[in-house]
Amino acid sequence: MNELAEPIAAPLAAPLAEPRPRVAANITDDAQLIAACRRGEARAMERLYHQYKRRVFGMAHRIVGASDAEEVAQEVFVRIFRALANFRGDSALSTWIYRLTVNAALSHLAKRGRRQEVGDDGLTEVPAPPVAERDSALASRIEAALAELPAGYRAILVLHDVEGLSHEECASILECRVGTCKSQLHKARARMRELLGDSLSPGGES
Amino acid sequence: MTCDDVRPRLTAYLEGDLDPDRGTVVRGHLRTCDACRKIAGQEATLRDELRALPTLDPPSTMWTSIQAQLAAAEVAESKRPAWKRALARWTPMLPRFAMGGVLAAAAVGILVWRTHGSEPRTKLVDTPSPQIQSSAPPVAMAPTPGCDLEAPANTDVTTDLATEPARRAACHAQTADELLALANEARGTWTAEQRASFDAQVAELRTAIDAAEDGRPRERAWRAMNRYLLNTLTRDQVALAAGGLQ
Repeated sequence: MNELAEPIAAPLAAPLAEPRPRVAANITDDAQLIAACRRGEARAMERLYHQYKRRVFGMAHRIVGASDAEEVAQEVFVRIFRALANFRGDSALSTWIYRLTVNAALSHLAKRGRRQEVGDDGLTEVPAPPVAERDSALASRIEAALAELPAGYRAILVLHDVEGLSHEECASILECRVGTCKSQLHKARARMRELLGDSLSPGGES
Repeated sequence: MTCDDVRPRLTAYLEGDLDPDRGTVVRGHLRTCDACRKIAGQEATLRDELRALPTLDPPSTMWTSIQAQLAAAEVAESKRPAWKRALARWTPMLPRFAMGGVLAAAAVGILVWRTHGSEPRTKLVDTPSPQIQSSAPPVAMAPTPGCDLEAPANTDVTTDLATEPARRAACHAQTADELLALANEARGTWTAEQRASFDAQVAELRTAIDAAEDGRPRERAWRAMNRYLLNTLTRDQVALAAGGLQ
């Protein structure tokens, strides 16, 4: 990456930013797990919880912020277990769980926005809660910048870039077209670049 | 290709979404344009850093809290009246029932068309009542000579058609009884005004049923009754889900 910031001394030899390699999705025994959960088997329910807890909590944390993440994640799991009987398998279990999580997180933000709207006449985007501490590490800066984004941008960045889902999966979760997902991702990354400035460049401020 | 052409495509390029030809063009531009190469480098760094963000562990007590909420929800569910639980179970399946209803209606339509459509039209016009038709079955309905399977004496299709409206009316009456039983369970949660309005409406519909002629008019009156009862129960359920009856 250092070469990218340098003048074009030997352009043909300069390494470039590379496209992301394609990764095949894992095949799991979701059907058996769902059937066992529907029968009320405690071990199966706990297994499903442990299988998805980090993803659900992580997404909730990055969309609604640290203070409300646990509340949203709990709400999502209660919904999952209560609605599992009606899960028809039209999408993968993981996609369904991601969709429940994103919807719960965005609804939570909307409700919180309504509660806080007194005196916020000019507010057009739902703000994320401020990150408590910003240290010099790039990861922390990125988390902080993420919290500054509008909720929709945050959702697509978390799904696509943090969780590593494909555009098709993101479109299914966000219930929009694949083209819309791509366009949102482009805008979200552009906004992140603006917020992070030179700290993304090799040798940038740290 | 200029910078203005390349920059909107940088995200697609970095995701590997561009076709090889366009990808080559973008790469060629990046090799010669310092500004675009810097943007591409920043976006690639951002992409990789986002992917490398640490996973976040939920508090260790979260599973216990979820189990407690599920248990509380189950207790609350067990205290709901049976009819509300049944309605909640069936509500998500309504779209499938609607499709099933359409298919069943189509099947009945085809059956009726084939049954009536094969008879000469004059026969329907000349026959004043199904009873008369049943006393003189059409020749076409007589058992085929030499057929091994002899139809029982009472399987005259015209007789069946004659009794069909009465049979359907009996089905509607049975459905109405079941819906009324559900409504009686639910009426404990209604206000006195709602109960009075419901009783008056049911009485009016009953009068209409008694006054209707046999056959299709009575069937229609029964259908009106059942529609009212079902709508009342559904509204009740929706009002409960929305935070209680008013």
